[in-house]
Amino acid sequence: MGKSVLIIDDSSTMRKIVNRSLRQAGLEFDTVLEAGDGQEALDILSGEKPDIILSDINMPNMDGIEFLKKKAEDASIKDIPVVMVTTEGGSEDMVEQSRSLGASGCVKKPFTPDQVNDVLGPLL
Amino acid sequence: MDFKEKIIDATREIFETMIMVDVTPGEALTEHVSKFKCSLSAMVGFAGFKQGNLAIHAPDKVAMGLTGDFLGVEVDEINEDVQDAMGELANMLAGSLKPFIANDGGKVELSLPSVVHGEEYTLTVINKADWIIVPFSVSHGDFMVGLELKKQ
Repeated sequence: MGKSVLIIDDSSTMRKIVNRSLRQAGLEFDTVLEAGDGQEALDILSGEKPDIILSDINMPNMDGIEFLKKKAEDASIKDIPVVMVTTEGGSEDMVEQSRSLGASGCVKKPFTPDQVNDVLGPLL
Repeated sequence: MDFKEKIIDATREIFETMIMVDVTPGEALTEHVSKFKCSLSAMVGFAGFKQGNLAIHAPDKVAMGLTGDFLGVEVDEINEDVQDAMGELANMLAGSLKPFIANDGGKVELSLPSVVHGEEYTLTVINKADWIIVPFSVSHGDFMVGLELKKQ
């Protein structure tokens, strides 16, 4: 069965950019799911179980931190690896917090295809 | 303000790794630019220990070309994708420069990106600020990266 990914970002443009970065890294997914915030992601995850999740941290409605907390409470999705996508110079506190809440890794923009592959590859 | 090389390094790294386009820096401007025509300006503010902003100013054609490269699609109008992509580039640039701006340990936070676009507009220049504007060339044309920091 083909691999699937869920990309969470409030900007549809950033979701396209992240998706393109995955392809440039040689990571081809048969199914690419998209959510505009944490709540929308949880709604999708009630029916879909992607192989990996990439999530922005700062989002309106439900941010990446709150999403990780909610996800950890749901036995059906808690083991799906989540990689946070952040910007160099962004809040280190939130990156640390995401790790303590179970995020499997973090990629910081600007990132090269190799860096994306290094973080995501072992999780797939 | 000794940020010219930092701006050049950060711009090169971001454009070459994320968009995969080569950028050629020019000489820093000697006069501030605040009036723009048929352009787009994407800005991110600095708050806290240092206040100011980082901005990318690009003619429409260049902004559309860069966005097309960034997303891997053809872009023929200034739409939400262009505004978001240019805002994201400004965000990444500000993030890369933040450690140097907060050099002596003060806490500096970044605002969310804001974008201005129009046939003709004027941006307010911060009073009593140090500034630098570095022009760059890409295959689509020229754009500028400006940094303003309020004097303390």
